[in-house]
Amino acid sequence: MSKVVEISPTTRHEGHSKLVLKVNDEGIIERGDWLSITPVRGVEKLAIGKTYEQVPKIASRVCGICPIAHTLAATEAMEASMGVEIPDDAYLLRIILQCANRLHSHALHDILALPDMYLPGTDSKINPFSPEEPVRSVAKRIQTLRMIGQTIGEIAGGEAVHPSNPRVGGMYKNITPRARTKIYDLAKQALPLAREQMEFMIAVFENYAKRDWAEMCGREVAIPKDLGFHQQGYMATDPCYGSSSLDEHPTWDPARWLEVRPWDWYMGEEEITLEDPAYPVGGTTKAGGKAWPQMQACTGVPLYDGQPVEVGPRARLAMYRNYDRKGAIGLNIAREMEYMDSVYKMIEAADALNTSGSVVADVIPQGDGTIGWAANEAPRGADVHLAKVRNGKVEWFSMLVPTTWNFPTCSRALTGAPWELAEVIVRAYDPCVSCATHMIVLDEDNRLVAQKLLE
Amino acid sequence: MEYLGQYKAVYKAKAGCEDILSKAQDGGIVTAMFAYALETGIIDGAIVAGPGEEAYKPEPMIATTVDELLAARGTKYSISPNMALIKEATRSYGLDKIGIVGTPCQIQAVRKAQLYPIGMRDVPDKIALALGIFCMENFPYQGLYQMVEDHCATKIDNVTKMDIGKGKFSVYTERGVNAQIPLKVTHKYEQPGCHVCLDYVANLADISTGSVGTPDGWSTVFVRSAAGEAAFNKAVDAGWIIAESMDGVKPGLELVTKLATEKITKNQKYIEHRAHAEHEALKPLRNPYI
Ligand SMILES: Cc1cc2nc3c(=O)[nH]c(=O)nc-3n(C[C@H](O)[C@H](O)[C@H](O)COP(=O)(O)OP(=O)(O)OC[C@H]3O[C@@H](n4cnc5c(N)ncnc54)[C@H](O)[C@@H]3O)c2cc1C
Ligand code: SF4
Repeated sequence: MSKVVEISPTTRHEGHSKLVLKVNDEGIIERGDWLSITPVRGVEKLAIGKTYEQVPKIASRVCGICPIAHTLAATEAMEASMGVEIPDDAYLLRIILQCANRLHSHALHDILALPDMYLPGTDSKINPFSPEEPVRSVAKRIQTLRMIGQTIGEIAGGEAVHPSNPRVGGMYKNITPRARTKIYDLAKQALPLAREQMEFMIAVFENYAKRDWAEMCGREVAIPKDLGFHQQGYMATDPCYGSSSLDEHPTWDPARWLEVRPWDWYMGEEEITLEDPAYPVGGTTKAGGKAWPQMQACTGVPLYDGQPVEVGPRARLAMYRNYDRKGAIGLNIAREMEYMDSVYKMIEAADALNTSGSVVADVIPQGDGTIGWAANEAPRGADVHLAKVRNGKVEWFSMLVPTTWNFPTCSRALTGAPWELAEVIVRAYDPCVSCATHMIVLDEDNRLVAQKLLE
Repeated sequence: MEYLGQYKAVYKAKAGCEDILSKAQDGGIVTAMFAYALETGIIDGAIVAGPGEEAYKPEPMIATTVDELLAARGTKYSISPNMALIKEATRSYGLDKIGIVGTPCQIQAVRKAQLYPIGMRDVPDKIALALGIFCMENFPYQGLYQMVEDHCATKIDNVTKMDIGKGKFSVYTERGVNAQIPLKVTHKYEQPGCHVCLDYVANLADISTGSVGTPDGWSTVFVRSAAGEAAFNKAVDAGWIIAESMDGVKPGLELVTKLATEKITKNQKYIEHRAHAEHEALKPLRNPYI
């Protein structure tokens, strides 16, 4: 007989979500739904009628961990709709900003993921706040990497959280030679630290993969070898930056995208029949309560070729580097493997940057309502924004953010895991639930209208 | 003392270098201190009031060379929003140790940003040297333009120096023409916001300087903070600044105190006036100090 257990809220990720899990007698998940319960803020609706300059600045506020992704994707969606080609040096500054944000974001996620993990060779879990070695040095290294990522982002992007420098047409300002030197120095400082951090984290994840059990709720819970495996495909648009409809060969295809309602994808109403007050910290939802994922999920369900897909570091490595490690640990390791590239890429871009080059397009047409899209490879995966701009005003705007893509995929990946480890799988996706929560638009027949707009 | 703020020492001083003095407003203290601080790494750039598009219309700029500092010498009696660059200096300019010059109100803004950094991330710990200049009042550019072009009957593009002192607003040109008008003529052009200002000698700066109190070509200098003291003493030792005791200097601190007292008492009265309904708006007006 299956039972239903609910973990609400989930922790150590951005935003507000919960897990509704149908488990068998052994506590193994038969069907799991991971869903956003973050209130819809409706950025896409309120964007309508506003200027193309302000919408990317509002979109940035969707999330404070990856505001770079939303700023750049929204700005570039406007540029794609309006047909604006930005100067090379503006593009290079955007790349530096992009890599700086990825560096900080991945490092931040290490802090969130570590408490599930064990110090290799021991049975003690890692508390990143512990004043003891070796954890203390790891925490310091993470903070240094984040400081570097934030500082470089601030120099190239004007601000580390909600970058001020990007604008439709390029950037407001180029940087001075002194600022470029500072970027170099910081990136050089980051190189050995990023390598050490990557190696440390991979060792920690590999160690977890080899373990038979993890301590949860005061008992030993068996770790399956296929923890977090799923059969969904991957979607990525670039190993580092992204793509847009202005590209000669765009790497994302809106014709393959379809969005359905949570109604079509999530479980119906369920009664909670299993509770565990020992689940850290504060227990699971009390038995007798009701959960209704179909109604409660605050995201749409985007599909690519008719299926949910995984986006993020592993999707990028799988599509561009033949990476093939599956499961929660495979995803965590892929994320670590992106450290070095993000540092090297910003050094390359700083090298190529001409600090006296122009950073704003000479001509900025005001838009004729053409649809344009831009995909930004956010730390958590492809963040696709679509826009129609006419006479300087946004007519239509849609955001398909990484965690929205991952919600249904990760839900499927829960099957086969002990319910106590469901959050370990969720965290492997580095979820950003505020990002994921957006409005879905239905017509009279309850069909999604976004698809129609593209025709 | 309370009208002059807290200070560790006060001097009669001027720059040790003729190049700086040639076009400095008074003793060239601001330019000399920043030049010394740049050369020795105390700062890696300074926010100054640079030349703008129109004559005597200042434009805030970040000077990272002595040449740029020299180009910004001299008083422009008009608003130069130097604080507008404070954050940008730490961003696209990549500065770590910022110098900034400003009127007392601008130095207040610097300190407020350091203690209450609202939207001022990374600014608080990057202020290395804040130099304040004495200030009785300031003028919007249109007002200044009218004072010069109409009241002084001088084309503003030809002006080489402006100066307020001894109750007069004076304008000098290359041809030596010197027009002077009594200050009471200029009152109506003052920036209204200056009438609630309770700081004359930049009380919150690391070092403040002005012309009042010392003879022409010299400046009155208050050394206030520990950082200001360290930088000033080193600049004196290195010969960038010549500093002498204020003892016996005429008109000296007596005049500075007198003017500071006048400014503060007058403006304090105006603030109280605003708080009462006899103000022409017929309702109490906001008081930023409470
Ligand atoms: C509006 C105003 C009112 C003043 N009122 C008095 C007064 O009542 N009594 C008095 O003794 N002194 C007053 N001063 C100060 C005086 O005119 C000199 O600026 C001061 O003595 C410094 O001279 P210096 O030779 O050391 O500076 P310099 O080496 O000539 O350098 C002057 C510095 O001041 C900066 N600066 C110029 N104009 C402005 C501005 N509008 N805002 C901010 N920074 C500016 C320049 O960029 C430059 O860096 C006033 C200055 C201003 C701007
Ligand atoms: S009088 Fe006060 S408010 Fe006006 S410019 Fe001078 S310092 Fe600023």
